[in-house]
Amino acid sequence: MRIAIDTGGTFTDCVCLVDGQLHVKKLFSTPKDPSEAVLDGVRELGGSENLEVRHGTTVGTNTMLERTGARVAFVTTTGFEDTIAIGRQARERLYDWFAPIPQCFVPRELRFGLRERVGAKGEVLLSPMDEELEALADAVRASGADAVAISLLFSFAQPETERRVEAALNKLGIPISTSHRILPEFREYERASTTVVNAYLAPRMQSYLATLEERVSKRYKGGRVDVMQSSGGIIPARVGATEPVRTVLSGPAGGVVGACRVAQWAGFERIIGFDMGGTSTDVFLANAASGAERTSESVIAGAPIGVPMLDIHTAGAGGGSIARFDAGGMLHVGPESAGADPGPICFGRGERATVTDANFVLGRMDAESFLGGEVRLDGERTLRMMREQKGTAGTVEEFAAGILRVVETQMEKAIRVISVERGYDPRDFTLVAFGGGGPLHACSLARALRISRVLVPVMPGALSAIGILLADAVRDYSRTVMLPGEAIGNLGAAFGELEKQGAAEFAAEDLNGVAQRSVDLRYLRQGYELNVRYDPVKPILSIEEFHQLHQQRYGFADTARPTEIVNLRLRMIAASEPYEPQRQKIVPGDGRAACYAERNLYFEGGIRPTRFYTRGMLKPGDSIGGPAMVTEYTAATLVLPGCSAAVNGLGNLVMEIGEEACA
Amino acid sequence: MKNELADPVELTIFQCAVHSIAEEMGAALRRTALSPNIKERRDYSCAVFDGRGRVIAMGDHMPVHLGSMPMSVQAAIDAIDFAPSDIVILNDPYAGGTHLPDITMVQGVFCEDSEEPVFYVANRAHHADVGGKFAGSMGPATTIDEEGVRISPVRILRDGALDREVLDGILRNVRTPWEREGDLAAQIGACRVGEQRLLQLVTKYGLEKLNRWTEELLDYSERLMRAELHAMPAGEFDAEDWLDGDGVTDEPIRIAVRLKIDPAEGAVDVDFAGSSPQVAGSVNAVRAITVSACFYVLRCLLAEDAPATEGILRPVTVHAPKGSIVNAQPPAAVAGGNVETSQRIVDVLMRALAQAIPERVPAASAGTMSNVTIGGLDRRMAGEMGNPFAYYETVAGGMGARLGLDGISGVHTHMTNSLNTPVEALEYAYPLRVRRYSYRPGSGGEGKFRGGDGLIREIEMLCDAEVTLLAERRKFRPYGLQGGEEGAPGRAVVVKAEGGEEMELPGKCSRKLAKGDVLRIETPGGGGWGRRK
Repeated sequence: MRIAIDTGGTFTDCVCLVDGQLHVKKLFSTPKDPSEAVLDGVRELGGSENLEVRHGTTVGTNTMLERTGARVAFVTTTGFEDTIAIGRQARERLYDWFAPIPQCFVPRELRFGLRERVGAKGEVLLSPMDEELEALADAVRASGADAVAISLLFSFAQPETERRVEAALNKLGIPISTSHRILPEFREYERASTTVVNAYLAPRMQSYLATLEERVSKRYKGGRVDVMQSSGGIIPARVGATEPVRTVLSGPAGGVVGACRVAQWAGFERIIGFDMGGTSTDVFLANAASGAERTSESVIAGAPIGVPMLDIHTAGAGGGSIARFDAGGMLHVGPESAGADPGPICFGRGERATVTDANFVLGRMDAESFLGGEVRLDGERTLRMMREQKGTAGTVEEFAAGILRVVETQMEKAIRVISVERGYDPRDFTLVAFGGGGPLHACSLARALRISRVLVPVMPGALSAIGILLADAVRDYSRTVMLPGEAIGNLGAAFGELEKQGAAEFAAEDLNGVAQRSVDLRYLRQGYELNVRYDPVKPILSIEEFHQLHQQRYGFADTARPTEIVNLRLRMIAASEPYEPQRQKIVPGDGRAACYAERNLYFEGGIRPTRFYTRGMLKPGDSIGGPAMVTEYTAATLVLPGCSAAVNGLGNLVMEIGEEACA
Repeated sequence: MKNELADPVELTIFQCAVHSIAEEMGAALRRTALSPNIKERRDYSCAVFDGRGRVIAMGDHMPVHLGSMPMSVQAAIDAIDFAPSDIVILNDPYAGGTHLPDITMVQGVFCEDSEEPVFYVANRAHHADVGGKFAGSMGPATTIDEEGVRISPVRILRDGALDREVLDGILRNVRTPWEREGDLAAQIGACRVGEQRLLQLVTKYGLEKLNRWTEELLDYSERLMRAELHAMPAGEFDAEDWLDGDGVTDEPIRIAVRLKIDPAEGAVDVDFAGSSPQVAGSVNAVRAITVSACFYVLRCLLAEDAPATEGILRPVTVHAPKGSIVNAQPPAAVAGGNVETSQRIVDVLMRALAQAIPERVPAASAGTMSNVTIGGLDRRMAGEMGNPFAYYETVAGGMGARLGLDGISGVHTHMTNSLNTPVEALEYAYPLRVRRYSYRPGSGGEGKFRGGDGLIREIEMLCDAEVTLLAERRKFRPYGLQGGEEGAPGRAVVVKAEGGEEMELPGKCSRKLAKGDVLRIETPGGGGWGRRK
């Protein structure tokens, strides 16, 4: 049995597949110990023997954003201790005289230099003496560090010294991250930063995942835990624990996989994903068939991360974001969030107005259907507290509408960053709205961006978990070789080694993997590479593809110019069990049978009578006009005046965004 | 005719689309260039211009390039009758350039039926050597002719075909021809990427719409700048600051400015009268640099995401006396005008501005790019003969303190934003070894808010080499403001391999070093802000 669980700031979503049917459970997250909600979810979905829990976790991201990670000791070559703080000596904002001072993850007193040196050819120029390593270990111990990052110059070319340092520090009994294992690539700052982030997350992630796996295996015979990586593939928890830097965007990566699958089934190609959760919102651009782009140049909380990740942009506002007026009387929403505890006012414990409360006050959340009625929403309390906080706003409704306008502007800006600012016109895309809040705000957002179509998948509030459930198991291996292009025919042995390693690790996990080989090529002495496929039967094709790709991407190519093979890459993939949702016959209808109420709701243009529909009772082919609310267990969809929504053969809602209707 | 304003959403899309084209050209250039100075340090800039040569988008690259590139495009348009798929190359500071290492390429973008270019794209990259008397072409020359190969606007591509004679003419006059050839190819490729993306925009929206949006974008930038000036106090604000010397004599060089702010008109007049005459050494700035510095300072008063277009300069008048240090005439040497004098012009402008809007202006930052060039013969690969190499780097310093914030340490400020060369990339590429790269503690000026600290970088020569320095702020230190103290001055030392004695180097010099010698650069800290309690 396989259960996927995505921990968010507010809710923990759990899904499993039984006889071709998806089952979903949504629980409040337990931020103090996220594994509590995970285990509760497993129990409620009926966890059994040989259980495989697939986990999307926010522990890594939150630790970085909140800066609550380990005290990391950074060990590097003497003379280069400050490089982790200096970075690339450039400023992020070109024209801002008041840019804040960047905060380094390693404070000055935790940077340690070691008298050692490796040269560019991997030759050891200066090797530390054992006494020096002893002294280093003493100094690190005395510093009170609870994790270590080791990144020496040219360690990827000659890892011997890093190994010796690692051996000497092992006795400290704290997690050690070494750069030649985490990111064996040149450019010392990016490698060191990735290694430091890994160390920063290691103690917390190790204890978290170890505890979780222990509890799962104790309760369920043969139970195990896997983790979603930021690159969109699944790895065993044990690997995730030693390389937590690979899981920083774990949950959001599940959303990408889920959104792409759903869009592909529905026949949409180019999508913008819009995943609004309780504390943050993730947006991304993707081709449904091939997924989102991967990047190895991510920057999270100011730190470069060089391991591959899906290209996801996060905005710090979600349903739980708190609204407040500043001294000048301007309304702000977020980045502070009510989270799961205390949560929004309407959940009964919170006391500060949130986006969720604004939706609730405006009637855009249905007290009865919300989480199947399991969570009682307190209307009276919410109105009272919102009134107290409404500041200069005339009415509670105006205050609430103001909150929504502010938060939607932030969402709009986030989508602009990934579309317009990269030269893509949002009009060419379908907006896939999910997460607890996505479907409520999608119509208004699409209108602002001139997007004409919105897809709200089945169970939008659990799509990330669904993506995690359906994701493939993936391990990436790489090796830097630095060979002339003519050697392309002689890579068999080197690839063979990677494959041996990959096959062995997959066999240990009882997985049947397929190997995808590729090489990073460049013209001799260029600084960046292009990744092209490698065919063991006709390796020369890689070189041909490289020239073509170079022409296509950069406008020139020269087949006479010498090339260079930089990295070999092997991606082992074990496909998840195939899943095709059932398609139902389309019968045109007006969804009347699913309508359970008509209420007067407040819109910008005035009060409008609005029909409420139960999503589960809408039939494929049903089409409804706005204003309307479609409610379900994990979310609610708002269809604005002037827009319409139709149910397709897979049960997805497809909304057409029309012009704003005058009231 | 009804003056119909573009839909704000469409205008935003247009602004972002052209900006992303400039960024994309930059990415293409960086990813295909050969020299570490371009691929690692990103010492390049890209921009998009309308059919009249007015800049409408600049990538977030090097401020000193960005403000001065419009003059290059104008010079190219004046000199050459562009045809489709022509690319014009230039670097002559007296014909659209700024200093010789910065080579600019300009391409006209034609749609199917247009006679004239409907847009232009341009990029500029700093080449690690363009010949001349000193390796790296940034040495203490006394005329432009000693500084390297001088290229007046000429087609390097004619109807898409490379003009081999032009290219060879350039390559014959530089020290590292194979590297130059690769970098120039990358610049050509970047132009084409820009052209392709602009043509896609034309196909998608039609030229008429794009032209209308262009006008609106320029007007919008102008409105932003004027709104800022409307809110400033009226008055005349004078300031001066000094360059240490020109490297030939120790005579200090004065840069003076008078800002006349006219809030009613939303206009500003910038007059450099009283600045020293041009000098024998290489710190002369051509007018393009001076305008560029003005552009930068004014741009900083706007929000970070305001579009950087020609519209920003519409409310600004710049007077730079001909033949002065801020408007040099041939045959003055100018290598340092671009990198050093440009920073001092910014310092002077900010000092004047600090009188008008004291709370919005930081103290002086390092005020020098601390340029280092090392050249010689790399014998690691090519046997007896060796391959000539030229390594160029600028070392960051301390940022000036601001009201409410200390200055940032070890960061490039104002007219430059190049990255450092990663130690590992540097040692792959050159027979050099970095021994130390760290902060320089205590170099920031004291104050209520402290100036940022400078950096220390030590480089060991693995072969005999010629080292050239071009640095400032040795005598005249980065000023503090509102009672804050000055930052520490810069310094350079050679530790000899034989005997280990230390030899102090002046700010501007060229020296032969022996294998094993170590060069240590210490960069200035930023000035403090406010009196220390």
